Amino acid sequence: MEALNISPQKVVDEALRFQQKIAAGMQVLHQVDDVTYGCTEKEVIYREDKLVLYRFKGENKPTAKIPLLIVYALVNRPYMVDLQEDRSIVKQLLSKGEDVYLIDWGYPDQSDRYLTLDDYINGYIRRCVDVICKRHNLPSINLLGICQGGAFSLCFSSIYPEKVKNLIAMVTPVDFHTADNMLSHWTRGMDVDLFVDTLGNVPADLMNLCYLTLKPIRLNQQKYIGLIDILDNKTEVENFLRMEKWIFDSPDQVGEAFRQFIKDFYQANKLVKGGLKIGEKEVDLKKITMPVLNIFAEQDHLVPPSASRPLQCVIGTKDYTQLAFKGGHIGIYVSSRAQREVPPAIHDWLEQRSK
Amino acid sequence: MATEDSVDFIKGWQSAQQQYWKNWWDMAQQTASTMQDGDLSSLPWHEGLELWSRFFRAPRPVQNDLMEKLMLNAKQYMTIMQSTLNRRVDQPPPFFDAAKIANPWVDALKNAFNIPGMDRSFLINNPMATALHEAMEQGTKSLQQMMTGMEQLAAPFQHEAKSLLSIPAFGYLREHQEHYQKMAQAWMDYQEALGRYNALILKSSQRSFDILENKLAERAEPGRQLDSMRALYDLWVDAAEEAYAEIALSDEFREVYGAVVNAQMGVRSQIQQEVERISVNFGVPTRTELNSVHQRLHEIRREIRRQQELPDLSQEITNLRAEVAALKKQATPENKESKKSVAEKVIKKASVKTSKSFKN
Repeated sequence: MEALNISPQKVVDEALRFQQKIAAGMQVLHQVDDVTYGCTEKEVIYREDKLVLYRFKGENKPTAKIPLLIVYALVNRPYMVDLQEDRSIVKQLLSKGEDVYLIDWGYPDQSDRYLTLDDYINGYIRRCVDVICKRHNLPSINLLGICQGGAFSLCFSSIYPEKVKNLIAMVTPVDFHTADNMLSHWTRGMDVDLFVDTLGNVPADLMNLCYLTLKPIRLNQQKYIGLIDILDNKTEVENFLRMEKWIFDSPDQVGEAFRQFIKDFYQANKLVKGGLKIGEKEVDLKKITMPVLNIFAEQDHLVPPSASRPLQCVIGTKDYTQLAFKGGHIGIYVSSRAQREVPPAIHDWLEQRSK
Repeated sequence: MATEDSVDFIKGWQSAQQQYWKNWWDMAQQTASTMQDGDLSSLPWHEGLELWSRFFRAPRPVQNDLMEKLMLNAKQYMTIMQSTLNRRVDQPPPFFDAAKIANPWVDALKNAFNIPGMDRSFLINNPMATALHEAMEQGTKSLQQMMTGMEQLAAPFQHEAKSLLSIPAFGYLREHQEHYQKMAQAWMDYQEALGRYNALILKSSQRSFDILENKLAERAEPGRQLDSMRALYDLWVDAAEEAYAEIALSDEFREVYGAVVNAQMGVRSQIQQEVERISVNFGVPTRTELNSVHQRLHEIRREIRRQQELPDLSQEITNLRAEVAALKKQATPENKESKKSVAEKVIKKASVKTSKSFKN
């Protein structure tokens, strides 16, 4: 028996359906509106350099006593958490009564080239946390770190545990040397000093290229063949375009912060092995004694689950919870399943620990 | 200003063009229905898409970009699928030899990736390299342009023996000669590293067809057969990504990837130094100068912020000043005299003790 049960007529029918979809798509593309992102109203609370600290406004006033600050990665734009009406973790959290803040890092340029991890973690993040604490007259707040922002949040929480009431890490790499971590694997042979000394800031295009080459055929070819399946649906095409915008709307990475992040985290794996210093401050994950919720995606090819799971063993808290989400690195924010599962899980966990 | 005559002319011209293409389409349909099978199979399906796409002009650039990407992938997909089927048909029977279930389709698919127009030898039978090549063209346009320029600049050096690059430089322009030698050496190092990288990518492509063969063999049973070309394509993508991951997670790939990146930076660094040299000659501010300014500014701002965040000492200073004032006030003439006599007594006592200890 052959593996393929294909007749010439089937092939022709398939090819014609393919072309019909493209033809319909040509009409749809004429009707598609400009893609916008961010569906939730927000106000500016604090600015520093290119950083803006936002507070989101829900339909009702927040009921949570302790505000939640989202710290996103530097490598992508943070509006992924509030992408559109039906794909917004922020909107879902607000509807549950959470008081949500977010740091927008902005778009660095070469004048920011000498910003270090010390500036980001002991500087920007700390000052944003202090601003929120002062506004609410609280000694500490809830922190939600996403991806690289999660790594930053772990560092911050170990250096300033008194400022963090509850910590949530989403798709956060902790152990950078697991066998299935392709990104980490590739950095190990790089001369990062030569890289940063030559480029200064690392261009966003180069970062995006690196991510695309993790799955070259799926992300550069199959994705666009799959687009044809939905090309006759205006809403789906707009959703696709919005995702495309986010994927390629990436900021450059400031040179010195990039240097240290790759050398200390990716190459030396200091977050778990020890010896990590942010400025003059030592990072000791055992000092994280506040409750921790660790959320990771089971099909994550950028931050494999094996990189996130070890968090349980390296922190000092006795209140550790883990949530494994069935999806990928991006799906955990934007899939309909994620909208149903993740924000309620975050809210329920926080509610029990914010009394 | 458009007159009524010119507006009528424009409308007439648009109508004429629509009529032309409609008539062309009707003719194409009639002709296709009368062609022999052999003639039809040689006509690429993707050329129909090519013509079709030219009718499309989206109102916004982002949609044109999307359509361009879509059409590129759609044409490749249709070419691969049509070629696979053509080659499968060309395979000698028996098609249903149980011992060779997967091979005919795998061979057909493998050869289908030799898409007409490919001008790089390493892209033959190498779909992984094709995909990477396309991604790189999008992601590193400026770097690729620089590399192409560098290739033209360094081409003469590739004919020199490598040993010539190590000959010491003399004279007034020795610094420049040394720099050009370094640039050429960097370029050659990059070419060598890239060659090793391409060899691994080719290995990955070859491996993908081995894995596909196994996957197809697993589907040679009722209920698991693939019933569309799309399903075959999707299965091949799974196989290709699996093969790529095997190679990409190997120690050899790690070393080679690092070598390519480092060599590329080496070339770029040399080019940047050359640009700086020229900029200095023309009095244009350079990257190095700007970096120096930015670094100093950054350090100054950090120091200012550090000082701003020091505890507020003004109240402490005020308190200390009040204490000093109070102490000064306490030290009045009467108090000064009594303090003087106390001091004299202390000194006298100390000197008596000292003289006693000397006697002892």
